[in-house]
Amino acid sequence: MSNTSLMRRGAALAAALMSASLVLTACGSDGGDTGDKAVETPSVEAAETRSVKAENGTIEVPFAPQRIVTIGNTNLPFIDLGGKPVGVTEVSDSDLDVLPKEQRTVYEAAEIVGSSGGEVDLEKLASLKPDLILVQFHSNDWDKIGKRLEAIAPTVLWGLDTEWKAFADAIAEAGNVADALSRQKAEFKEKVAKIQETYGKVIDGTSFVDVSRGDWSDPGTFYIADIGCSEIARDDVGLDLPEAAEGKDPLAYESLPFEQIGELSKYDVITYPVDAAGQPTEPFVPVVETNTWKALPAVSSGRALGVFCPSNNSYGPVIRYLDSLDSALATLPAKK
Amino acid sequence: MTALALRQDGPGTETVPGPRRRLLGLVVALVVLVVLLVLSVMIGSTAIAPSVVWDALFRSSAGIDQFAIRDFRLPRTIVGLVVGVALGLSGALIQALTRNPLADPGILGVNAGASFAVTVAVGLLGVRDAQGYMWFAFAGALIVTLLVLALGSTRQGSSPVVIVLTGVCVGAVLGGAREALQLTNPDAFDAMRYWNAGSIVGRPLEVVWPILPFFAVALILAFAVSGPLNALALGDELAVAQGVRLVRTRVLAVIALTLLAGGATAIAGPIAFVGLMVPHVARWIVGPHQRWIFAYSILLAPSLLLVSDILGRIVMRPSEIPVGIVTAFVGAPVLVALVRRKKASGL
Repeated sequence: MSNTSLMRRGAALAAALMSASLVLTACGSDGGDTGDKAVETPSVEAAETRSVKAENGTIEVPFAPQRIVTIGNTNLPFIDLGGKPVGVTEVSDSDLDVLPKEQRTVYEAAEIVGSSGGEVDLEKLASLKPDLILVQFHSNDWDKIGKRLEAIAPTVLWGLDTEWKAFADAIAEAGNVADALSRQKAEFKEKVAKIQETYGKVIDGTSFVDVSRGDWSDPGTFYIADIGCSEIARDDVGLDLPEAAEGKDPLAYESLPFEQIGELSKYDVITYPVDAAGQPTEPFVPVVETNTWKALPAVSSGRALGVFCPSNNSYGPVIRYLDSLDSALATLPAKK
Repeated sequence: MTALALRQDGPGTETVPGPRRRLLGLVVALVVLVVLLVLSVMIGSTAIAPSVVWDALFRSSAGIDQFAIRDFRLPRTIVGLVVGVALGLSGALIQALTRNPLADPGILGVNAGASFAVTVAVGLLGVRDAQGYMWFAFAGALIVTLLVLALGSTRQGSSPVVIVLTGVCVGAVLGGAREALQLTNPDAFDAMRYWNAGSIVGRPLEVVWPILPFFAVALILAFAVSGPLNALALGDELAVAQGVRLVRTRVLAVIALTLLAGGATAIAGPIAFVGLMVPHVARWIVGPHQRWIFAYSILLAPSLLLVSDILGRIVMRPSEIPVGIVTAFVGAPVLVALVRRKKASGL
């Protein structure tokens, strides 16, 4: 056993003894979190680690990890929960551009250990001496480097198909940032309830469609978004948005030629992507510039709503999306 | 011109249709092209009534469908026409110039140069729209073709074989460099993924107009050298004996085909099969007379491109298949059938 490990065990033992004495001397008090956790801690070993269920099995992770490295899609969700990773993989410029300033500072303070999920500099990662690695990327990438990551530190893997709320729960649990998650969840619930209450009458009986284009979209094509933020608007807020049939690929996977823009005329309200300043996103500009788009009833009557969706894989950006949706819906009643 | 009245297709000998039949065939090809132009405007992933199409084209009505015709189908049809003409003529030129029935403009490095330039523009310079990287593609095609010509020319002059081999080598080097760039830059990879398939979708007419003057120059040059290229088909010595200036003819032909192929590739991405197949078909119809081959190629190539594009719009409705993929599917069986029926043509 290494000196570091021995020291860590010693410190944990001391902490456990102090916690036990606190419990004994604080009988009758309400008891804070620390006290409650101490009571629930049955042994020294349990205070050190806890079990986390993940794609790669049940992983023993430090109870309070101090040096976390995030890889792939775990970078920004962990930072969104207030986490401060010591190492991260690169995220796209478009993601960085919409990151709140304080989160960007945290991201930039971390060491870059790879350009993307599967391209990790393992030597550099190991030199950071992480006590926990959080990973979400493609299973092919995991096959390449998963075992080597596990040899460096306890590693928790989530597949790309993990639902975003479950993902946030799991990251918060593994990364010991559950308090921030609770606050975000409460705020999310409150925002959703407010939108439903304020715009219930507008939402009911109104057909919506969410359209988008990405950097990756083929020229002359767009798609109907039914995943991501659109999914939240449909499933949580209750907007009547199109959805793929059961067992079929999401509508968003199908590139539609611009000629199909005319088909959007059957919807009452169209939502489309805008940046933080409210301007159509760069990839979507070719759509709004067409005369066909301008001639759509929803567009000509002001019922085409630009909505800002910074991301959809953690509560922070989703809450910002809800704020944007709230503001957009606020313009509807007067125009309807 | 008895030498041109008979032609050899492998071991057999066939007679070539006379001028009247050639002219009649040309008229038929023109009618087919016009019909396809009309169909291209009328058929798409959305069903639009012919009366609406008529309104869109000849009245200033402002309905959604009318805009769809004017915004998307009409520009796409014009792009298909222009790109098809350029690809067909450039293919005929390169096959005549190299005396190689398997030659297409790609062997001079046109596609490799354009693709590499677009990758640099997208991956390193952050250019995103078709209008932005069109000029990179055009410049890349021209520069690489000139490079191939320079490298392929020796003190004794230039021979088609040396130029073709040089083009293949330069193309391979640029292809490797392009792939390396794309592997390290996901944005470039995404942009190139579609561009490489070859498509005429989403190309505004603003992309076409600046290229047209180059095409006009190329067209004039091509017909100017059609006579000397006929003589060149008999071999360098015989051509010289007939008064052909070899270097001048080759340089003018290369300029013309580079402008045509480079411009077409800049607009639509690399669409390989059209420039290879159409001149073959034209040659089977009219025999080894370059002026007629050029004229037929100018009409048949856009027809092939438009048929392929129309099919690409309807087979996977409401999605579409890029025309570059469909031309291969449509053109390859037709070419194989023709080859089996008529045997490979000489030049």
